[in-house]
Amino acid sequence: MGTFISGWRIQRRVIGALMIRELVTRFGRENIGFLWMMVEPLLFAALVGFIWRYMKGPEEHGVSVIAFVASGYLPLTLFRYAVTRSVRIFTVNSSLMYHRQIKVLDFVFVRVLIEMIGTMMAYLFIAILLISLDEFPVPADLGLFLAGWTLYCLFTFALCLVLAPLSEMSDVLEKIMPVTTYVMIPFSGTFNMVSWLTPDAQKAMYYSPFVHGMEMMRQGIFGDRVDAQWDIKVPIAASLFFILIGLAMCRRVRRRLVVE
Amino acid sequence: MIDCQQVTKYYPLGSGRKKVLNEIDLQIRPGEHIGFLGRNGAGKTTLIKLIGGVELPTSGKIRRRMSVSWPLGFGGGFQGSLTGYDNARFIARIYGQNYNEIRGFVEEFTELGAQLKMPVKTYSSGMRARLAFALSLAIEFDCYLIDEVIMVGDANFHKKCHYELFEKRGDRALVLASHSPELIREFCDRALILHQGHGTIHHDVNEALEIYAAL
Repeated sequence: MGTFISGWRIQRRVIGALMIRELVTRFGRENIGFLWMMVEPLLFAALVGFIWRYMKGPEEHGVSVIAFVASGYLPLTLFRYAVTRSVRIFTVNSSLMYHRQIKVLDFVFVRVLIEMIGTMMAYLFIAILLISLDEFPVPADLGLFLAGWTLYCLFTFALCLVLAPLSEMSDVLEKIMPVTTYVMIPFSGTFNMVSWLTPDAQKAMYYSPFVHGMEMMRQGIFGDRVDAQWDIKVPIAASLFFILIGLAMCRRVRRRLVVE
Repeated sequence: MIDCQQVTKYYPLGSGRKKVLNEIDLQIRPGEHIGFLGRNGAGKTTLIKLIGGVELPTSGKIRRRMSVSWPLGFGGGFQGSLTGYDNARFIARIYGQNYNEIRGFVEEFTELGAQLKMPVKTYSSGMRARLAFALSLAIEFDCYLIDEVIMVGDANFHKKCHYELFEKRGDRALVLASHSPELIREFCDRALILHQGHGTIHHDVNEALEIYAAL
């Protein structure tokens, strides 16, 4: 028990130190610093939302187009940033292996955690702004929204845990990553609800782990105005599967990691 | 006590692999000073990295029953894009130390002044060595791992290292990889000669230096 508690303390220290270091290196100390982390998703969600509004009209399937785009695009940025920045994360941070209390898993964990905080801040900001403009509903069920968000983040973390060691083993991954993340957008539930699709497509979407978290978030925001379909078993099972494989792969890559 | 048992390390080389260390057995007891001797590429740095836990052995075991510093060299242990102060802050955080104390020691030991506010990548190798030394001496370890780095720097730096490491912390264990016979002769109780992957331990340092000179 004593070793567990001291281990936990070290772990918390390391995670905290890594997060501060990450924020300082990435955003610097000058001008608005780490607030940049939320500006980018914010701009994207807002601009895409407004463009769609003029292309498709203010509402689609009974919900505001801007609100719908924002609620889909913000989690997607989390996923895209987390995944892109997991590529070769061990090599990039290898100088930190000089300190034995830092483990390779911490890199992936910190990466996803930082994206989670940044996206959540952006989300909060954009939601308050849009609610005051009457373009975004007051969330119908905040608990359900947060549960969906947690599942979405869990699966993102699980995927990063596999992609990070995989990118160290093969250079091919780095090349195919952008196209893969682009192609997966239709399967992520980002810009449509499952219930808008044909029955065959709905069946296929059931197996996409992202969709369930996204549908939960949408129901949490829009309530009964959308017909959400979700099943927490799928993202949880998929996450556990990828975490197990990822842990084994991280261990293997760590053994062979060459540190300058 | 640090116990290395049958430590073997391979590195990838082209399509095959190269054996850098072959079943090295080594015990380092508290307070003991061991010198690593070997020609360039003999595996001194590799063995120090394995003892420090920076890299992991391909096979064999390393047990650490005392606190061991990170290997002190030119590059490792800090991040080039961060300033000297930020590096000190980071070290203080992960080792659970008081930053103000560490900062005071680093300022005094390195004498780098305003340069500490600049990213470490702008430092000369002598300045890096000063910072690396200061950061690891700011944390108290039972065993310090030192890889060549003591050779760079000016007379003033040597004097400070000498005082902090060999006088003030003379009771700690020390692993010193060096090409300098004087340094090994003066400070080490034992020497490990690394040659073609094999390690042989010598209790007579002068004898070890003679063998090393003949390699």
